[in-house]
Amino acid sequence: MPLLHLWQEAFGSIGDDGVRWIAAKLGLQPINIFELVGFYPMFHQAPAGRKHIRICRTLSCAMAGSYEVMDRVCETAGIVRHKGEDDRHEAVSVTDNREYSVEFVECLASCGTAPVCMVQDDLVENVKPESASNLLTNHQSLITNHQSLPHPLERRLIFKNIGRSDYTTDIECYLRHGGYEQLKKAIKMSRTEIVNEVKTSGLRGRGGAGFPCGVKWSFIKPDEKKPVYLICNADESEPGTFKDRYIIHQDPHQLIESIVISCFALNAKTAYIYIRGEFPEGATILERAVEEAREKNFVGKDMLGTGVDVEIYIHRGAGAYICGEETGLIESLEGKRAYPRIKPPYFPAVLGLYMCPTIVNNVETLCHVRHIVEMGGANYARLGRPNNTGTRIVCVSGDVQRPGYFEVEVGGITMGQLIFDMAGGPRYGRTIKAVIPGGSSAKVLRADEKFKIKVRQFDGSMADQEVSLFEIPVDFDSLAAAGSMAGSGGVIVLDDSRDMVWVLNNINEFYAHESCGQCTPCREGSLWMKKITDRMLLGGGVVRDPETLKTVADNIAGRTICAFGEACAWPTQSFVEKFKEEFVQRSQKPVPPPMPPEYTPEELVESEKITTTPLPRNPGWEETAKTGTI
Amino acid sequence: MDQPPQLFNVQINGVWHQFPKGTRVIEACEQVGSYIPRYCYHKKLSAPGNCRMCLIEMGLPKLGPDRKLELSEDGKPVINWMVRPQISCAQDVCEGMGVRTDSPLAQECRKGVMEFLLINHPLDCPICDQAGECRLQEFSVEYGNAESRFLENKVKKPKNVELGPRVTLDDERCILCSRCIRFCQEIVHDDVLGFVDRGSYSVLTAHPGKQLDNNYSLNTVDICPVGALTSSDFRFQMRVWFLKETKSFCTSCATGCNTIIGTREDVIYRQTPRENDAVNSSWMCDYGRLNFNYLESSKRLLQPEILLGDKLTPADWKTAIAHAAGQLRHFSSWEIAILASGHMTNEELWLTSQLAKTLGSPLIDIVPHTGPGDDILLSTDRNPNTNGARLMGVTTDPGGRLRTIIDGVASGQIKALVALGENPIDIGLTLAQVTSLPAFIVMNILSNETTHAATALLPSLGFAEKRGSMINRKGRLQRLNRAVRGPGQAREDWQILRDLIEAYAGRSSETTPRADGLHSIEDVFRQMSESIPQFAGLNLSKISDLGLQILNGAVAPTAESAELGSEAKVLESQKCG
Repeated sequence: MPLLHLWQEAFGSIGDDGVRWIAAKLGLQPINIFELVGFYPMFHQAPAGRKHIRICRTLSCAMAGSYEVMDRVCETAGIVRHKGEDDRHEAVSVTDNREYSVEFVECLASCGTAPVCMVQDDLVENVKPESASNLLTNHQSLITNHQSLPHPLERRLIFKNIGRSDYTTDIECYLRHGGYEQLKKAIKMSRTEIVNEVKTSGLRGRGGAGFPCGVKWSFIKPDEKKPVYLICNADESEPGTFKDRYIIHQDPHQLIESIVISCFALNAKTAYIYIRGEFPEGATILERAVEEAREKNFVGKDMLGTGVDVEIYIHRGAGAYICGEETGLIESLEGKRAYPRIKPPYFPAVLGLYMCPTIVNNVETLCHVRHIVEMGGANYARLGRPNNTGTRIVCVSGDVQRPGYFEVEVGGITMGQLIFDMAGGPRYGRTIKAVIPGGSSAKVLRADEKFKIKVRQFDGSMADQEVSLFEIPVDFDSLAAAGSMAGSGGVIVLDDSRDMVWVLNNINEFYAHESCGQCTPCREGSLWMKKITDRMLLGGGVVRDPETLKTVADNIAGRTICAFGEACAWPTQSFVEKFKEEFVQRSQKPVPPPMPPEYTPEELVESEKITTTPLPRNPGWEETAKTGTI
Repeated sequence: MDQPPQLFNVQINGVWHQFPKGTRVIEACEQVGSYIPRYCYHKKLSAPGNCRMCLIEMGLPKLGPDRKLELSEDGKPVINWMVRPQISCAQDVCEGMGVRTDSPLAQECRKGVMEFLLINHPLDCPICDQAGECRLQEFSVEYGNAESRFLENKVKKPKNVELGPRVTLDDERCILCSRCIRFCQEIVHDDVLGFVDRGSYSVLTAHPGKQLDNNYSLNTVDICPVGALTSSDFRFQMRVWFLKETKSFCTSCATGCNTIIGTREDVIYRQTPRENDAVNSSWMCDYGRLNFNYLESSKRLLQPEILLGDKLTPADWKTAIAHAAGQLRHFSSWEIAILASGHMTNEELWLTSQLAKTLGSPLIDIVPHTGPGDDILLSTDRNPNTNGARLMGVTTDPGGRLRTIIDGVASGQIKALVALGENPIDIGLTLAQVTSLPAFIVMNILSNETTHAATALLPSLGFAEKRGSMINRKGRLQRLNRAVRGPGQAREDWQILRDLIEAYAGRSSETTPRADGLHSIEDVFRQMSESIPQFAGLNLSKISDLGLQILNGAVAPTAESAELGSEAKVLESQKCG
């Protein structure tokens, strides 16, 4: 993949000669490279325009008007987006003079500043449809520091240095703020000690699954003979999530230090940071950071004189959400199509990268490790709640007044505090209709629903209580009890101006586009669900559509190789269940009758299309049939 | 002494069974009669687990606090059933595992997957070659819906793509099981196929610069569970349910891959490989697979002819054989040479050696044929029965005596040449030399440059038209079965040889019972089993469909004699002149 990126940067697109050259260089067959070019949308087979504009079309940006932005840009630049014969828009639409081209892409992980676009390699935030034509001419290319001060309810641990105008990404700034001290502390501890601290801390993965990090780390045997790899999953693509972006772009050394500590703890000599292709600047920043760290001997051979080698490599992705799945990531790192592996037998801790034990952790999770080393596992566990320890970064986007990121203690605030106090509540004159609490894969929660969850009572015990949406504490267990999940912490707020069928359609299109296509239920089912909601939006919804949507989603969840099946099925299941009236209202047409036969037997005989030959003699059964006796 | 394989207790649908360690769950269930439907799993390929059709309910044994199996009252482990269904093709059995293949959950999973596979599948059954042996059709009957509830437009993909010279691809029918890709990577080591694009728009393709043209490309057609990959040769030829299937084996090289010959009304439509782990696993090469058209060539010899004056005139069998025998009686044994063939069956070779004995042991040899081989299946020895020739005593050194025969004909010492299924030009004789022979007796299938010069022309039968046995290069005895009837008046070689021997010896073949006792081919085999130690106690009909190992080790033609044989080109039917 790095070669494919280089070729595209040099030549603009990867044509047949590129495929052949790269295949020859690597000693592979052309088909092996050709497979990749088709799989990853960032690799263009035909040259795009000189200025290539990527417009995000996923939920938060669509709600903020990215489709209008696309229309304006096409209008201004004179681009016509052609539809193929199977009703699919072409991916990249280019002007005739090859100056400009546009492309709809999936979530660019900056939902707090929706709508977002990328012009070449620069991110442009808060693109209004009125000023969309500016994208073609001059565009601001900064990651804007739009959040000045942390909210009082926040507890900034990881994000302590994010959004500060006096903080830069170089190592000197990091060292001034006490950087790499924890690494020096960690190398004095033993490996098992560090792993135990992580276990005691109760840190749960922040990438979406919430799997206890210490347990995952303990899968690596201390006396493992095969090389151990650590992979940092910086492929933040879950719609609604935009936290890792800021860590990478504004505080990269925190991540580097955490990775080195983790490598030391796991006896891993090589770490890869798999960063999504849509963060080109982030990749540059990280590479510079690694070099700076190497100069100071924090990374590389004989790290800090311990005799341990730790190498970090940055690997860029190319536009596939499925590379966020740990085994899909491993496959992509190995240079193949990102098809997740079946587990059993390919558990990453046993048979991971190059069939060696591998640990895959999210960016934020790894950053927490540094803080655990700093304050000790037990102290860390005091933050948050039992079994939901520490802090996490929650990203609010959608129909709120102040979308953005907030770092809070897990379970330290309720949904209401998050949405109303911290994010400013709904827009003027609107009420909140629904909330998706954990990235688009999480089940939606109605604003007027009541949930039975365990709530801490005044005397400290846990008891069942019925609460409204806004009283649910934002932590893993409570949201799971409410029937959804905390996921990646991307809270998307939907107000009463949103048509739920439209919302579901937008989400379905995301999953249909991002499905890797390996296993049958997800591949066929995700596109089917998208086509049903497409049809419903155009007015063709038939009576049994809601039920079809539900049964199709039921047939996907739990039957697939990876959790993408659940991810694409849960939105459909939950939206159809919770907002049944909206879906039913759109499904009024009767089911079309089956194709009528072209003829009936009587017509046939009449029109003499088939001649009926009378029998030469009158067999006895005709007589007996009349009388009914033998 | 090998350790007996470790056996595991597995509960399948409520009944406890034992399986050796390393048995795949899907195989285990099939062995006890609970067949699990599948698309992407193939016994000889790696298991990717992507079709999700083999989902079943699985349970693992409960472990007590001491990490030992918890046992129920009947002494068997208690099973914790997993909530999520699991695929059965990628896991081996383990102690105490439980499997439910026909629970409501498993049925539901299959119905779901069936529905998903059919929503984008084109309605091609009426024009699709795979109809009748299509997995989608089979499992639809058991797990499909009668009516579709898919109201959208189907995904359009390329149809009728020429993937290679012999394989046609229809991408819409493809269910993306990846069997063909894995076959090309793992068995043939010719990585040529792959998926491009993503999601439901994924398409199977080969890179534009390369074609699927290796010598095993038609095996992908066999393993494709649907009609996506079809044989260009067999396309639209015949519906598979009309084909009579005869078990036989291929005679294009010494490997003898086990085949099934599909025929209808005496016409062969296709050959497909049969599974035999001792010979060809589940594959066969394209060259051998397509090498049957010569049996219907217009060059087939249809009736016996004898040279009267200077013209070959048709005659009946009795006359022709009498004429041939008469010619042979003219000459003494050192004036006769017999060119036998490595393509002949054991029975025919046995009778040839009897003929040679009757004639007084003249020069006799088989003609080696070689061609490029590979280390997968195709052998460099293109004679299917070299071992048989050795065993029947026709030759101890295949091709070793050819030099002598050539010299003898050139010098004029050899006056009678009996060519049994071989062309003298192949060993280096010229047409002039052959024509000048006083007696040239030919028993063959097709006419060639020399057949018009024969003094007696005896048409015989091809491999699919006769019964007999051959020994492959690894020493395995396999039986040919008759799939079609021969054309015209062509007759079984062994009968021709038997009558020739009788006629030469002056005995009448009209008596019943016959004087030589050879009424059927079984009698010939019995004679063989009485004289040849490796055949002792065997019976032609009792040779199983998978053959019988009677020799140890492979026997190859010697290098020097191989030069005098003919070099066959790969992918060309060597019998088409």
